[in-house]
Amino acid sequence: MLSLQHISKYYQVGGNKNFVINDISLDVDEGEFVSIMGPSGSGKSTLLNIIGMLDDPSTGYHYFVDQPVHQMKEKQRSALYKQYIGFVFQAYHLIDELTVYENIETPLIYQDVKGSERKAMVADMLDRFNIVGKKDLFPAQLSGGQQQLVGIARALIAKPKLLLADEPTGNLNSKQGEEIMELFRKLNKEDGVTIIQVTHSEKNAEYGSRIINLLDGRVESSKKF
Amino acid sequence: MYKNYFKVAWRNLWKNKVSSVINIVGLAVGMAACIVILLFVSYEKSFDSFHGENIVRLNEVQKWPGLAAPQKVALSMFPMAPAIKAEFPEVKDYTRIKWDDKYQFTYNEKRIFVPEVFAVDPSFFNIFNFKVIKGDALAAITKPNSIAITEETAQKLFGKEDPIGKIINHYGGDTLKFTVTAVMANVPKNSQLQFDALYSLPGIHQKWMDNWGGNWLNTYFKMSPGADLKSFEAKMPGFLKKHLNGDGWKYYELFYLPLKDIHAGSTDIGLDYLNFQKFDQKSTNLFAIIAIIVLVIACVNFMNLSTARSADRAKEVGIRKSIGANRPQLALQFLGETILLSLLALVFAIILVELALPYVNNLSLRGISLPVFSQPLFLPLILVGTILVGFISGIYPALFLSSFKPVKVLKGSVETGKNKGALRNVLVVGQFTSAVFLMIATVFVVKQLKFMQAKDPGFTREQMVTIPLDRISGKGYQLFKQQLLNNTLVAGVTASQDQLGSHLDQNGVTFQYKDSPKKDLAATQLIVDNDYLNVYNIKLSQGKNFSTEKSQNGREYIVNEAMADELLKDHPGATRASLIGQRFGFDSLGVITGVSKNFNFNSMHYKVENLFLVNQSEWGFRKVSVKINAGKSKEAIEFIKATWKQINPDHPFEYQFLDDHFAEVYRADNQVSKIVGILAGLAILISCLGLFGLASFSAEKRVKEIGVRKVLGASVKNIVMLLSGHFIKLVMISNLIAWPLAWYAMNLWLKDFAYHISITWGTFLFVALLSVIIALLTISFQSVKAAIANPVKSLRSE
Repeated sequence: MLSLQHISKYYQVGGNKNFVINDISLDVDEGEFVSIMGPSGSGKSTLLNIIGMLDDPSTGYHYFVDQPVHQMKEKQRSALYKQYIGFVFQAYHLIDELTVYENIETPLIYQDVKGSERKAMVADMLDRFNIVGKKDLFPAQLSGGQQQLVGIARALIAKPKLLLADEPTGNLNSKQGEEIMELFRKLNKEDGVTIIQVTHSEKNAEYGSRIINLLDGRVESSKKF
Repeated sequence: MYKNYFKVAWRNLWKNKVSSVINIVGLAVGMAACIVILLFVSYEKSFDSFHGENIVRLNEVQKWPGLAAPQKVALSMFPMAPAIKAEFPEVKDYTRIKWDDKYQFTYNEKRIFVPEVFAVDPSFFNIFNFKVIKGDALAAITKPNSIAITEETAQKLFGKEDPIGKIINHYGGDTLKFTVTAVMANVPKNSQLQFDALYSLPGIHQKWMDNWGGNWLNTYFKMSPGADLKSFEAKMPGFLKKHLNGDGWKYYELFYLPLKDIHAGSTDIGLDYLNFQKFDQKSTNLFAIIAIIVLVIACVNFMNLSTARSADRAKEVGIRKSIGANRPQLALQFLGETILLSLLALVFAIILVELALPYVNNLSLRGISLPVFSQPLFLPLILVGTILVGFISGIYPALFLSSFKPVKVLKGSVETGKNKGALRNVLVVGQFTSAVFLMIATVFVVKQLKFMQAKDPGFTREQMVTIPLDRISGKGYQLFKQQLLNNTLVAGVTASQDQLGSHLDQNGVTFQYKDSPKKDLAATQLIVDNDYLNVYNIKLSQGKNFSTEKSQNGREYIVNEAMADELLKDHPGATRASLIGQRFGFDSLGVITGVSKNFNFNSMHYKVENLFLVNQSEWGFRKVSVKINAGKSKEAIEFIKATWKQINPDHPFEYQFLDDHFAEVYRADNQVSKIVGILAGLAILISCLGLFGLASFSAEKRVKEIGVRKVLGASVKNIVMLLSGHFIKLVMISNLIAWPLAWYAMNLWLKDFAYHISITWGTFLFVALLSVIIALLTISFQSVKAAIANPVKSLRSE
């Protein structure tokens, strides 16, 4: 599905290059569930952002569904991204001014899905996540777990092939976290969504089919189950 | 997609009430100012637009010897128009207009004054489009002793009777009779020609038809399409040479003005009596420029506040980008919000305009209305304009906000950083520079106006009542005067041909200095009663006043100092005193008995012209001037009225205080100063709104810093200084930039006045102080609020 080759990301500090990602190569196949672990500052989030095209690497080659992302213009990248990728954040990042319903609907709007179709898709998603009753509430009126559910619903609404999650349970209690992880597993197994998550939690990492450990911007270890 | 944008926009407006209100109020006020000025400009442009094309007015430049400078006038001579039409094929038609103001008509027992009656040529209707309601208007101006009257006049004279075929009489020195052959619609208010009745010029004024030399009428031509005015004008000197006697042609130039340029483009043309509500194009343009500046200031508020508050929106930008929005979509969203905001502002603006129009009409004496439905183009134009305003204010914030990188903003680091702050500073300085500039301009304009009205004109203007005389009431003048003088309410009575406070008529005179050859020259004339100088308290610098002896009537002349110097131009070394007793006057029958000090008989826009006064009571006066005793003006007017009624029982009593007349003379100046002042006020108001918004933002942003400083021992005063200092610095910089600009502009403006104030530094300092105080008041609310906040609270929330 995607392939990173010799990807580096660094900041110029004085005369020195300060590497956040240092020459990482990584292949992820369709249907995989990858957990990225590592201490703070090891480059997990940056790596995830690069995979998700929210951030550019300084050097290296990046192929996504066999297309060279590193050669693309912003516009093409955005099109590719819209079609294939959904993002889930630790801080949920819902739009405060929109209701649950509208938050979930927004990605469809950017994909020019017709109104009637959008309605059906959002209704379906609300149903699936059991939040029909909350559809007219604003994010501030929801608990953290509920907000994250909305965040995931939003990430999934456009039927992405790849779901990227940056510490999705980091702000949740363990019960809520477990529910989210179960949901991820189900998505991965039943719907065949490829998932890459960044996590601090050993336990959550084990939901994945592969765990990659980062340290100081390099892959320290990688094991498949 | 748009529904979604709309919702977000609406909820955001609601959430940030302070900045929304500032933006909407600022934009609404700016737009209202622009709409009002736009309506004013389009009203001005509409003057005479209902006539056809290729119409021009004939004007003269008079260069008679004795005039201080050549003068442009709207007048022309009786035989010019027919002769020009006969000789130049580019002229298709002509009409001359000879006017009579305050014409009196009688019908049976009824007698009315009509303000303006025109005698015109038969081609009048070929040239102008004035609506005829019924009857044969052409007959009225073709046949002698026929007349067309307007609806209003018909109503006044005949009430409900049908006017057609009725005979009305002119009341006055002659016994003219007119048969009404047509009723015309009332003349539109946006016509330079305002009349109440039309009759035939050749039919009535036959005796003047060959009078080359008298300039008592206006001439209009219809030119053939495509005629070149420049080359036409170039043929005029030859034409004059052919028709005027002797050297007469040297003293005239003829030039033409297209009809549509006359209303706004003939400020430099004098004796322009038929040019209703003449208003300088330059002033109109000035209003338009200032109104646009006011609107731009409001737009800048929007830019400043939305970039300052960008942190609030940064997260949303990041999220939207991370769920698939691209930059153009986001920019469009933000732009849409601004446009929504400006459309909202438009609604308020329209309400403001509706509220302001009565006042504007009162000030400008025009009939401006909001043509929301009557003019199909108005609404689309305003909407497009509003969207454009939204676009201009929103494009920069939109591009700025949509440029955020999701990775960065979602991590919480937004660059509202140093550069953006610098841009905001520049914009604030721009706003305040404009506002300060306008304030300085207002102060000088008002000062100049006050100066003109307060400067001693060299004669008494206070407590002076003027009463018009016609040929009949003029006969009772001496009796009227005697009876008035019997009462202690009246301090003096005199009379003259013209009223002070405008251009006066000019006439040719002959002068002979001792044994030198006679010299013909032209000068302004004022025909007066023998006690005129006393009543008006005009000082003599040489010689003596008019004698009261009847035998001297019309033989004595008094010249003003400007005239005296003109007369002595060819006699270097001669004193003004030496003029006394020299031969001067019409046909040089008279002598100069005195030299008066210069007095400003015209507005202070103009230098005192060369003037002579002659005491000639046999020609009949047209204005009585009554000087009344101060403090009892009401009783005095009652007494004058009663006396008038007794002597002229069938004449209505009309009067005007000379002060009021001078207020009219300065009306255009007054209008300009008021409008500039109002716009300046709006500019400062909107600038302060923006400042208020920025101050509240910066106070909010620095809550934590203020808390820490207070814990470390800073006083409220320290904090207020800290928060206000920056903005005050900006306002002071604005002053420094505005000063030279204002100094330059005011110098330029004051040049148009022959008598004007000098530019003093006091005004600049005053405005600087005022602007700093206003700015301080604006921000102090926010600063003090922030400074007295309990630091425990502001620190705990972090």
